[in-house]
Amino acid sequence: MSKLLIDVGSTYFKVCQQSGINQYFRDFNKDIFDDLLNKCGDIFSNYAKEDIYICSSANGGLSTLIIGLTNSFSLKFAKNIAFNSGINIIDTILYHKIDEAKAPGELIDVVILVGGIDGIANVFDEKLFHFLRNVHYNNIVYVGTKQDAMFLSENIQELKVLGNIITEKLHVNGGELKEYLTNLYQADIVGKEDIKHLYAITANQIYSTPYIVNRSLPLIDANFDVVNPFIVVDIGGATTDIHYSRDLVRDNIVSESGFDRLVFKKLGVYKSRETLIFAAKNNEFVYELLAYLNVTENILEEESEKALRILMQLSIFLVLYKVSRLHPLYVTLHLEQLKTVVLTGGITKVLSYEEAESIMQFFYKKVLGLHAIPNIVMDYEYAIWTLGMQNDTASRS
Amino acid sequence: MKVVTGVVGNDIHVVANRLIDISLQARGFEVFNLGVNTSLEEFIDAVVETDADILLISSLNGEAEGWCRDLQFLRSEYNLREDVIFVIGGNLAVGEANQDDIIPKYRSYGFDLVFHQVDLNTGLDELERYVKERA
Amino acid sequence: MSLLQKERDVITRNEYADTFDFAEIENFIANAPKELFITHHFKKRDRLLVQPRGGFPTYKKMFELYETFMGADIDVLPLTVDSNTRLNDYAMAQKMLRLSEENEMDMLNGYPLVNHGYRTTRKMITHFNKPVSLRHGTPDARLLVETALASGIFEIEGGPITYMLPYSKNFPLDKAFLYWKYVDKVCALYSKLNEPINRESFGPLTATLVPPCIVIVIQLIEMLLSLEEGVKSFSVSFSQNGSMMQDIVTSNVLKKLAREYADTFGSQDAIINLVYHQWMGAFPRNKELSDQLINTNTVIAAMVRADKIIIKTRDEAFGIPTMQCNAQSVANTKYTLRTLKGLPVMSDAEEEENLELEVRALMDAVMNDPADTLWRKVFNTIKSGLIDVPFSPHIINHNAVITIRDDQGNIRIIDKGKLPLPERCFAYEKSKVNLPESKTEVINKIIHDIGAML
Repeated sequence: MSKLLIDVGSTYFKVCQQSGINQYFRDFNKDIFDDLLNKCGDIFSNYAKEDIYICSSANGGLSTLIIGLTNSFSLKFAKNIAFNSGINIIDTILYHKIDEAKAPGELIDVVILVGGIDGIANVFDEKLFHFLRNVHYNNIVYVGTKQDAMFLSENIQELKVLGNIITEKLHVNGGELKEYLTNLYQADIVGKEDIKHLYAITANQIYSTPYIVNRSLPLIDANFDVVNPFIVVDIGGATTDIHYSRDLVRDNIVSESGFDRLVFKKLGVYKSRETLIFAAKNNEFVYELLAYLNVTENILEEESEKALRILMQLSIFLVLYKVSRLHPLYVTLHLEQLKTVVLTGGITKVLSYEEAESIMQFFYKKVLGLHAIPNIVMDYEYAIWTLGMQNDTASRS
Repeated sequence: MKVVTGVVGNDIHVVANRLIDISLQARGFEVFNLGVNTSLEEFIDAVVETDADILLISSLNGEAEGWCRDLQFLRSEYNLREDVIFVIGGNLAVGEANQDDIIPKYRSYGFDLVFHQVDLNTGLDELERYVKERA
Repeated sequence: MSLLQKERDVITRNEYADTFDFAEIENFIANAPKELFITHHFKKRDRLLVQPRGGFPTYKKMFELYETFMGADIDVLPLTVDSNTRLNDYAMAQKMLRLSEENEMDMLNGYPLVNHGYRTTRKMITHFNKPVSLRHGTPDARLLVETALASGIFEIEGGPITYMLPYSKNFPLDKAFLYWKYVDKVCALYSKLNEPINRESFGPLTATLVPPCIVIVIQLIEMLLSLEEGVKSFSVSFSQNGSMMQDIVTSNVLKKLAREYADTFGSQDAIINLVYHQWMGAFPRNKELSDQLINTNTVIAAMVRADKIIIKTRDEAFGIPTMQCNAQSVANTKYTLRTLKGLPVMSDAEEEENLELEVRALMDAVMNDPADTLWRKVFNTIKSGLIDVPFSPHIINHNAVITIRDDQGNIRIIDKGKLPLPERCFAYEKSKVNLPESKTEVINKIIHDIGAML
């Protein structure tokens, strides 16, 4: 029984049949559904609605604000769950500093409140309500101590209360929150007019692409030349996703899947080009790097094919830099133990293997002092998502 | 009463840690054991998340000293409850050292009770006495 | 090229490792003398093989150690790696190796096998022509084991559970299963070329009041995981627990069930061996008393009819023993074994029945987990506390089981945590101990029981 898998991205449609994967550049003057029908309408007619599976990353993801009691538990657990639910944009506020915190200017899709194990009370107070008055949000969810749920519900309209993500042993319990966020994300995807129409051609639920990619990770090494521990770097137009084997980071979370996800929200080569260049120019290695690539700083201002390639190489460098021990933020990956880097997304259409290899060599030599670099796998066909989709169909049947 | 406990730094001394855990439970405390290799921030964060009454840190290779200096800072940073009891015990110095030097030093870092090479039950007896006196 | 071979190419391509020539390595293993394979010696089953522990940083000192051991008529040579190598930090191992070589001082607590490389190490192994056993404690031992096998080290100790739960706080257990699967696959591959490569599990675990049912279950699981990948020779193991009778009971049940489970899972052709570890807990600081403890252990190893004994030294309480002291311990053990004749065959039907029931109940819990692979079943079982190793530092371990010794020194479970023990078994365990009234006294007894040999 053959299936048709479709990924709706912000720049391309990818359509996977048994015969292989085809990609279609999107026409932004058209509605997604019309555009897709126009380009692949004849393919759809060969499949029953039940055999067509769609995922989408076209809506850009949900924005999240997390307010939590501590870094080591509340915020760490909530961030971990949010990233792994496919949520992209995250700001965090440590509750005892909420007085000094500035409310984000933009509309937030979901605010997550967390703090305290069950059994303790009065974690949150007036300060929270005061702060929230200045935040524009669509949804708000509480996953902290049970004892504060009533008080918060009385003071925050439409507060969704779920089970505490912090267990009595101070471990993470992400089940309910993950399900809630995943559903919210789903609802957001299908809520978009464009995507809603796609249900005309599929009888299956439409998932978000990061969710699907995450599902494919445990299957990758059986299907590609990928050796554990590995990272998958998906550098897009607006954001960069990185999925990594959990043995590259040593934090005290017992997780389900063996892989975690991290997103750099303003690191991309189109929409986030300006912030990427800004970050690059402020990096301590930038001049050596440009010299190594045999270009000058001026290239960053150019609008050429060559400039785009340099920008992509810079973005690979910056992503690795941001997860290295030189940049101790949310996670530090033990990159010296890394065996494979999988590059996927837009950059595989532009960068050659040699260009990717050369930037990796620079990074490993400069930052880690190593000559041998991990194996590089270029996901030219953007085939990783098909694994997660196929897995989905297998587990459902 | 709630106690957060664990071992600092790179001490892999799980036997002592587990015995402290079981002993505290036997004495009626509610225990949150963070295990070995726990950082100071994790300790303080755990006190905040559990609203614990006591923080009991053990150190077996004299490794505590390096980072205990940050204790006061973290304590004020989080606006911890004034009455949280800070206890440290184990082998608190590298090499030979005498009690008269060690105890005042760790007191000045912000610990209420300091047990250097004191046997487990003696230490816990003293902790219980201290708790009673403060009540 | 197979996926495994591609993976092997990636794993062995490392800045600090030799360039691997797989064709040459296969050729070496295919033609290696039988003497290098411990499986060849196990087959004869004519004596209890004696193996110490040991490893020094430099080639020169390692060579001297082996020479000293040879003088004591050793059966199996050890190769213990240093702690940097165990954590895959070859850069630090390299630095410390250089310092050790330049200053004639041991800056590492073992032999940095990956940094020395297989070409160099093989010269030493083939020179002595004795089987060598690799001792490490590494969750990701892929490169280390490739180097060991290429060097002529044909026995690999460890496993995803026994090298994780006693040593690590947060290395992800699911990854450890994956990495040990690789090790088992490579061992299985080479086993087709000559005598089989032997895999050995590390039964002592935390060596702190671990009840026999937990030890046996983990031994059976690691055995099945290895056999599943095609390993043909496997050693289950445990360490002296403080009661001779309980050691004998453990041995009888472990041997019986290991064979039974191996057969049930389709590995009738696999050879199963038993390894006994001398006391793994704290040793007395008196060296003469340590000698006595070691001697008692040797007698028990003979009583439990082990195939190999791993020995300690009188310097145990003081750190890494000198090579002379280590070799003396080998000679002493060999003497005891040579003079110890006419051993009675012992058993205890009631104890064995109870232990067997416990083990089967725990194994059923593993097998009944709905996951589709054995390793995932085991992972889930540990995560949910149905298997629980006392005194493990790992965050995944529940640490809810509490054990204590009865008047005979047997380890008994007084709090079963989430272990799915049959009621009657747990009642049996509890009936054997008279717990002191006061809880503080119970703790004192546990402390005393941990240090039973002090």
